[in-house]
Amino acid sequence: MADDMKTANHPQADEGLIGFQDGAIEGRPAGVPSSYATGGSPRWTPEVIADIHAKSQLGRYQMRGFNAFNRHLPSFDELVIEPATMTRLPLEGYREQCETKVVLGDGLGKVEQPIELDIPIYVAAMSFGALSANAKAALARGARKAGTMTCTGEGGMLEEERAENRTLVYQLTPSRYMLDLDHIRQADGIEIAVGQGAKPGTGGLLLGMKVSERVARMRNLPMGVDQRATCRHPDFLGADDMAVKIEELREATNYRVPIFVKMGATRPYYDVAVAAKTGADVVVVDGLEGGTGASPAFLLDNTGVPTMAAIPAARRALDDTGMSGKVKLVIAGGIRSGIDVAKAMALGADAVMIGTGMLMALGCNSPRYLADYKALGTEPGACHHCHTGRCPVGITTQDPELVKRLHVDAAAERVYRYLTAMTMEATMLAKACGKSSLANLEPEDLRALTLEASAFTGVPLIGADRPFTW
Amino acid sequence: MNAPTATKRRTDTAAKTIVAGDRPIREINQEIREAVMQGYTINVSEPLSRHNFAVGLTGDGSVHFAGSVGYYCGGLSNGGHIEVDGNSGWGTGEGMAAGHVTINGNAGTSVGASMRGGTIHVRGNAGPRCGIAQKGGNIVVEGNVGYYTGFMAHAGRIICLGDAIDSVGDSLWEGTVWVAGNIEKLGVDAVVQKPAEKDVAEIEALLASLGVKAQKRDWKQIVAGKKLWYYEARDAKQWLMI
Repeated sequence: MADDMKTANHPQADEGLIGFQDGAIEGRPAGVPSSYATGGSPRWTPEVIADIHAKSQLGRYQMRGFNAFNRHLPSFDELVIEPATMTRLPLEGYREQCETKVVLGDGLGKVEQPIELDIPIYVAAMSFGALSANAKAALARGARKAGTMTCTGEGGMLEEERAENRTLVYQLTPSRYMLDLDHIRQADGIEIAVGQGAKPGTGGLLLGMKVSERVARMRNLPMGVDQRATCRHPDFLGADDMAVKIEELREATNYRVPIFVKMGATRPYYDVAVAAKTGADVVVVDGLEGGTGASPAFLLDNTGVPTMAAIPAARRALDDTGMSGKVKLVIAGGIRSGIDVAKAMALGADAVMIGTGMLMALGCNSPRYLADYKALGTEPGACHHCHTGRCPVGITTQDPELVKRLHVDAAAERVYRYLTAMTMEATMLAKACGKSSLANLEPEDLRALTLEASAFTGVPLIGADRPFTW
Repeated sequence: MNAPTATKRRTDTAAKTIVAGDRPIREINQEIREAVMQGYTINVSEPLSRHNFAVGLTGDGSVHFAGSVGYYCGGLSNGGHIEVDGNSGWGTGEGMAAGHVTINGNAGTSVGASMRGGTIHVRGNAGPRCGIAQKGGNIVVEGNVGYYTGFMAHAGRIICLGDAIDSVGDSLWEGTVWVAGNIEKLGVDAVVQKPAEKDVAEIEALLASLGVKAQKRDWKQIVAGKKLWYYEARDAKQWLMI
């Protein structure tokens, strides 16, 4: 063919015309952008390069707060609710009632005062230390107004939180900060924390910048030290020991309050089955998307099981051990809205626990004090600098001047309204599915939009209308 | 819960004796708690090494176990005097804030874990993780202590008259471990220092108050080297770059 063209002796076009010379920029052929300009390797991304630059300068890994960043995780957004149409009847969204109450601790018949919540959503365990006292107080007041509860987190029982709360769960962590019989007896529930979704397999972490005089006093620590809590409890190791520990806590509280066991989701089927058999009243499973005030960054992105996948596994564990109905299942980790709440409950949760979303309601990442965001090298909407203790809006800090920026009354009202709005969303979806109680939501109310979501949850894939399985 | 006001120890009434046997622990503990809170002495026979005896005590009374006890004896207590004529299991006196526990035999793992106050006295040996995460009070062990004794102790004193094996004083905060015998191996960030005379006098006075025979001892005081205290945040500004 080429020879034929030569034979035809057509004139050679000008190189400039061939090369789109009229569109060339600084010598580069038009239509052929620089590989530098288009960026390139999916492996050596700007984030990876920046991480290597950081590690090569610091000689250690990076630390941050918040939750998983660098992961595409199948999310609740890939599930849709399938309301009633012909085969089922919907309830009137604006006129008929949908029960939202949930009782925790009534299943085994061991607890004299099970926890009764008006809504199946409560504020996750976040410590005083990670959060300011104002933030803890506002969360407690907002939760109380909404008829729900908070959990102390690992920093001990804060007076302000106890005073503001109707229902407060005391968290018993491996570090046992300010463990006190009086506090245990003031609590409405006790949660044995054996892990968290953000960084399962490791203990709590509070960098020295946030270990103020009060935080240090409550934790029996020197001021300003890096607090790295243990990952194992000091006085029990396996499930057999934990069963005895749970009985000890029942003795200490005279069988008055329910005992929770909280874990990060790693092997949720087996871990939940074991936890249920230890005699706990409630099992809390915190998925990979769970947040934290400080963590080695790589743990946030690389450890655990996503919440959406953990729920069906946990429910199946309770079913298979005959403990469904006896042991309640609480789910946490990346729950943002009433829509997520409804989907989590349809997958099998009895209640959900929310941390990061509650901080947003308090004012986290709100567009104020812009200069302070800038000083942290970030901006509203992208801040994840909880670990530095320099929270511009006074939530994840112990700096007295920054703490003042969080107005407790206003923040508490926002928490209440967020809880209320989420409850409205969840009940509207439930009523559309014909459910007169949020507890009646079921997997059949869901369909998966993606193969991954279907495989993670066992929910039928839309179109094929059956679960994606192997 | 409004706990009834505890009263001082009473000597005006003869000690009450109850049989534990296979009765429900809850029932036994209610009797113990009530007696101790009111300042009485109560003897418990046939404890059969069962778990969770005398948990959550308040008051100034006493309870005496005529035999060995299981896990968490005296755990989470805020008062009371406990004496065990035998051995004790894991977590003896864990989390206690006040009170006194005497184990006349050996104690298992994690004696006085996370305790905040009071005194635990073990006349025999104590198992591993003795005084782990301790936050106050005293633990006195007349025999030897197991591995990881004093691990991450925030405050308080662990006093061992015998030998300490592997990893004693690992990752200490402001807690201290005193060893009169041999130290097989120190834990991470543990430092041995020669104790001040004043501190030694305090220790000897404590031992004397427990009826431990006075003698010259070669005290080694183990404290934190503090290298782990600022593991990551020596310069807070570094973290702002992230």
